Amino acid sequence: MKIYIVIPFYNEERQIGKVVKSLAKYNLPVVLVDDGSSDRSRFKIQELRFKNETLLTHKVNLGKGAAMKTGADYAFAKGADAVVFMDGDNQHKANDLPKFINALKSGKYDMVFGSRNLGLGVPLVRFLGNKFASVVASALFGIYVSDSICGFRALTKKAYNKIKWDSNGYGVEIEMVARTGKTGLSHVEVPVESVYYDKVKGVTALDAFGILLEVVKLRLTI
Amino acid sequence: MILGFQIIAILFALSMIYFALHAYKRKELGKGEIISWEVLWGGAIIIIIFPDLLRKFSMTFLITRVFDLMVIGGFILVISMVANSYVRTRRLEKKMEELVRKLAIKGESKKKKEGRIRK
Repeated sequence: MKIYIVIPFYNEERQIGKVVKSLAKYNLPVVLVDDGSSDRSRFKIQELRFKNETLLTHKVNLGKGAAMKTGADYAFAKGADAVVFMDGDNQHKANDLPKFINALKSGKYDMVFGSRNLGLGVPLVRFLGNKFASVVASALFGIYVSDSICGFRALTKKAYNKIKWDSNGYGVEIEMVARTGKTGLSHVEVPVESVYYDKVKGVTALDAFGILLEVVKLRLTI
Repeated sequence: MILGFQIIAILFALSMIYFALHAYKRKELGKGEIISWEVLWGGAIIIIIFPDLLRKFSMTFLITRVFDLMVIGGFILVISMVANSYVRTRRLEKKMEELVRKLAIKGESKKKKEGRIRK
């Protein structure tokens, strides 16, 4: 099974090199998608001269969902059978990667969701926000994923063709969950560790409100 | 006698005519568009000066005051324009997204091809 790792990132010059370095031991093809960064992220990657990595660059910032789609389109066009998505801010640990690979290789699951919890480094406020999103998604789409907005997740080509998302921003994760519920794809959760290096980045309270609106929109449209 | 409110409305309509003409001169509006805008604002000036022209029309819709009819008409116009521009913006966003994503993938394939030629 050909598995690619897709990492969307935006202004992550301090962390992106570390993320890519941590993946080296797995010897998997990595697709990095620079979502129109205005800092030196892309030069940082070029300076490090990685061998297994492909860098795709959005000329303008479109949002995480669009960057994920670009990476997935590229990987599947290159012959990938499945892709694993990781965040570019180094909050996900490469050590958790084998859990996704094993679940995909078992052939039982089309989607593998990473799940962060309190014991694995998630602040209480975020944990409660995640739970709220999970409960709402469960009520509206009939699928319960304990951490429905975790960006560490994997999907097969079949799943990608079925759930290709429209959201460009942070709503992408919840849309993937909703579409998984709607299409009845087989899925599993694996526990993942999470470390937050930058408190101002990632999902803000405003983003959370946007995600909530997105959920309502999804309920009406899919 | 023309009231102060009418004077302000006329000045506003005249300035909108000026902006439309200015946009036309800069080729930002086509012939059809400039004619539509001039007719719209010209019509608005006539109605502002002679509001009684609409009285019969307002009675048909059981609206007692002409002013109320104009406010309702204005609302309908604004809402339809907002809806129209929302759809256009979404369409543009989608097109831009597709273009940026295509360029990203194409750019990488081109780089790889050039790399192979150099080798």
